[in-house]
Amino acid sequence: MLQTTLVNLSMNRPRWVFFGVLLLTVIAGLQIPSIKVDTDPENMLPADNAARVFHDHVKERFGLHDMIVVGVVNDSAGGIYNQQSLSELQQLSDAIVQMDGVVSQDLMSLDRVDNISQEGPGTIRFEWMMKQVPTDQAGIDQIRTSVERLPLLNNTLVSGDGKAAGIYIPITQKSESYRISGLIQTEISKLSGNNQYYISGLPVAEDTFGVEMFIQMAISAPLAGLMIFILMWVFFRSFLLITAPMLVAMGSVIITMGLLIGQGYTVHIMSSMIPIFLMPIAVVDSVHILSEFADRYRPGEDPKVALKEVLGHLFTPMLYTSVTSAVGFASLAFTPIPPVQIFGLHVAFGIMLAFVLTITLVPAYIISLSPKRMAQMKDHNIDEDDNSFLGRLLIFTGRFSIARAKGLLVLFVLIVVGSAYGVAQIQINDNPVRWFKPDHPLRVADRVMNHHFPGTYNAFLVLDKTGDLRSGLEQSLQTRAAKEGVELQQKLDSVTAESFIEYTNALINLFDQLSYDDSDHETLWLDLLDMTEKAQINSKYFLTPDAMTYLDGLQTFLDDSEYVGKSNGLPTLLKTVYRELQGGAADQYRLPSTAAAAAQTVLSFQGSHRPNDLWHMVTPDYRSTVLWLQLSSGDNQDMNRVLKLVDGYVADHPLPEGVKLNWAGLTYINVVWQDEMVNGMLNSLMGAFFMVLLIMILLFRSVKIGLLSMLPLTVTILFIYGLIGLSGKDYDMPIAVLSALTLGLSVDFAIHFLERTRAIYRECGSWEQTVAEVYKGPSRAISRNAVVVAIGFTPLLFAPLVPYITVGFFLATIMAVSAVVTVMLLPAVMEMIKDKDSLFGVKPGIKESIHD
Amino acid sequence: MIKQLFTSLVVGLTLSVSAPLYAADLSDVNEIVNQANLAAYYQGADGRSEARMLIEDSQGRQQQRQFTILRRDHEDGGDQQFLVAFSRPADVRGTVFLVEKHAGTDDDRWLYLPGLDLVKRISAGDKRTSFVGSNYFYEDVSGRNPEEDNHQLLETTAEFYVLDNTPKDPGSVEFSHYRVWIDKVSMLPMKIEYYDTSDKLYRRVEVLATEQVQGFPTVTKSRVSDLVSGASTTMEFRFIRYDLGMDSSVFTERSLRNPPRQWLKRPE
Repeated sequence: MLQTTLVNLSMNRPRWVFFGVLLLTVIAGLQIPSIKVDTDPENMLPADNAARVFHDHVKERFGLHDMIVVGVVNDSAGGIYNQQSLSELQQLSDAIVQMDGVVSQDLMSLDRVDNISQEGPGTIRFEWMMKQVPTDQAGIDQIRTSVERLPLLNNTLVSGDGKAAGIYIPITQKSESYRISGLIQTEISKLSGNNQYYISGLPVAEDTFGVEMFIQMAISAPLAGLMIFILMWVFFRSFLLITAPMLVAMGSVIITMGLLIGQGYTVHIMSSMIPIFLMPIAVVDSVHILSEFADRYRPGEDPKVALKEVLGHLFTPMLYTSVTSAVGFASLAFTPIPPVQIFGLHVAFGIMLAFVLTITLVPAYIISLSPKRMAQMKDHNIDEDDNSFLGRLLIFTGRFSIARAKGLLVLFVLIVVGSAYGVAQIQINDNPVRWFKPDHPLRVADRVMNHHFPGTYNAFLVLDKTGDLRSGLEQSLQTRAAKEGVELQQKLDSVTAESFIEYTNALINLFDQLSYDDSDHETLWLDLLDMTEKAQINSKYFLTPDAMTYLDGLQTFLDDSEYVGKSNGLPTLLKTVYRELQGGAADQYRLPSTAAAAAQTVLSFQGSHRPNDLWHMVTPDYRSTVLWLQLSSGDNQDMNRVLKLVDGYVADHPLPEGVKLNWAGLTYINVVWQDEMVNGMLNSLMGAFFMVLLIMILLFRSVKIGLLSMLPLTVTILFIYGLIGLSGKDYDMPIAVLSALTLGLSVDFAIHFLERTRAIYRECGSWEQTVAEVYKGPSRAISRNAVVVAIGFTPLLFAPLVPYITVGFFLATIMAVSAVVTVMLLPAVMEMIKDKDSLFGVKPGIKESIHD
Repeated sequence: MIKQLFTSLVVGLTLSVSAPLYAADLSDVNEIVNQANLAAYYQGADGRSEARMLIEDSQGRQQQRQFTILRRDHEDGGDQQFLVAFSRPADVRGTVFLVEKHAGTDDDRWLYLPGLDLVKRISAGDKRTSFVGSNYFYEDVSGRNPEEDNHQLLETTAEFYVLDNTPKDPGSVEFSHYRVWIDKVSMLPMKIEYYDTSDKLYRRVEVLATEQVQGFPTVTKSRVSDLVSGASTTMEFRFIRYDLGMDSSVFTERSLRNPPRQWLKRPE
């Protein structure tokens, strides 16, 4: 049998075991330096996810980049409209434009955008808004007047109150934003004025999180190790004894992380917590072995005998607790979120590895100890006195549970009902910026910027006009040509172009040339040319009054809603340029009345310094357009409200024929993966629940005890999630992941408790005596382990990043609650079950054999 | 005008080889600049050509513009008149630019938008803005006044005079200096490279083809590349004619609404 083989190997060949484990650890350890951290929430979705593919496609089609937003704030009465503030702004933007990784031509700042203005009657002027900072206040006030006249700039480049200006910095790579924001910070520190500067934007938040996460890992994981070490020393007072569990923990962590990194996976937020999850779980089993071995071993005896006995006794429960914990984590593979899958599967692997190391490395370690050291081990009184505080507390608890069984059951039913109510109150929400503490510079920047501006979170509403244009045109061209007996197919085939606009351009050039070269059919070619030009004009859908009017209506509706700060789109640009062409009066702020007028309005705009800004709003074929929505909140709930708003609007005002509406933008992507996560988590929780139940039934070979063992964790999960619902804490990514973990961890206590209870009952046959026994040994071990694991997670509470604190707090709570529920609820329920013999499977004449 | 911005490869070179009558190298930088300015913008007393512009963005997406340019010189190296009438895309057909270029002062510019039936004067302010969304600037089309820069002859190669040009008013332009390669035979600028304030090359204007038209070396294909974004615009000139005898009335505000068909139509 595997068990015997492993145990014999480790006892007879301890060196092999040491060497083998060391070798594995070194190989795995060598992988770790090639670690790649990934905090891009986009990667929460698989690369082929439809929403993500669309988002990427939108970015490409409209030349949109992720943006860092630098806020320049001056709270004095005149705001940023003073020479010093503006000079600093220009100095900063000049420096930023030179930075590598910045898409300099698309950078938006007061000194890099155009002003369209009236210069006397009938004269329009395109010029830089602020090529140089004016030396007089009148010039500066003129800039303010100009900005406030231009809807695309007002409240985007300078806030409505004039106190804040924004520099919008598109970057080529999101993963560069931490580096670039560092460079910007350096430039800011060179400035010496009265402005305050804030760096914000989702890319910075995400990338900064990655960097801080790395630091966090480097601090928290060793700290957790230290905590566990200290705690075990408090319990066992023997470095000799606790060296073995520490070796198991370190081995498990290093090999698991090495495996993850070695396979080329990136370390995501969840995966970065693997060491912290694994360490407490890994030491628990070794503690069981050492405790029991120290109890049974008598100096002078062959340690192998005692060791075999201990391992024989503990192997099955250890295997099962490991398997159930692993199943709990592995169930995360059912969520459609790749980083969570990787996390779950690797923790599951780590737990099983810790089990294998425990039953090989620990025996090998004990065997290798000299008799003198072995004797030292005995000197430490491992098994605490029944008179210790914990001992007395537990004995009291046992008596209380039995005596007040009914009352306790009622209490637990009430808790379950209350928790169920709490679960119903759960608010599903997330926002990567909130992964930082409220006093983090990024959170501060977020607050300040969204106070002054209509919003620094971006969502993109994309409208695509669909339909096959080419075959219709080809058919009418051929019909026309056939009238004159001209075969057109070959000529049409000679023209190859992807987009309709390029295709028609090529045809137009072809027919133009033919009308010149083939003067016999001049009329035909000119007719075909005319038909093609008409088809081309008609294809430019997002210049037509119908399309623009619809879009304009949608924009007005969104701008009036409380969740959208501001929207920018092609109608905004058209109306602005049209107004200036028509003399600049406010009542001229409207859409051109025909498609040709719109096209010429656009052409006028293209005579500016930044003609390409147009292509961030519409594609060159005018078949797709995008509205840029500035949201003041990045909360998924708020984004969801915006989605609902638009759905409602589209229901009341149906989209024009053939127009499709879709969403893009990081704020939207976050909503998508959260939805997937919530549903996926439910699946994985249900899956894990039934897997664990099945394992329990198999382990105990009893449906009743199997169900009983699920009771503490069910109550615990309900309680924890009820608490989250009632406390108003958002159900976010870390909370979602916790559900499956709770299941895997809290069933451990039930296994140990029920296993020992049944064994003791089968030996003594008396329920009263069983309860008394259980509350001395097993309960104490459970409580001690709960404390070890719970405290092992506490370094997370001191983390600077909120998800770690959340996970740390709830894991500690889960441990505590499930330990309490186990030692109080289980005896009370068993007390209520009359036929104990049937429950524990005691049949006359059949000898108990589970531990052999 | 646009076409004459720069010069020639094939035709220019064969000419230079077959006609060994070119004089000794010029060494006076002002003389070189002066001749290049005349070669690029002042061939003949007037001229017309049809331009087809292909604007290609960094993703390779293309847009097209087609227009006819009429030009008339008041005097060589001095004031000029331009009329640019758009024929394609069809939705901007009839859009006309009229430019009175003044060598000494700001130009006068008008724009006619038929869809809005609107004549608009455009303030000259800055001539380094995009020409109809392309990578060409207005100034590339109508010519930059040599007086605005300080010129320095860097070297004289077998084919080119290589000049470095620094703006007298750096605040008025986006470049810190630019370098020009002027063909020694045709005196057409064949390549211009612009450097930004950190001395990084960011923009290139180059001649891709030239022809002799009525004895004048003429640019028939040129390109502007935006080296930062990766976009570029290629312009081809066809149906070029010089010395048509256009008079000043062709270039009046009246021509905006009623384009001079006589000169715009393709020559036989």
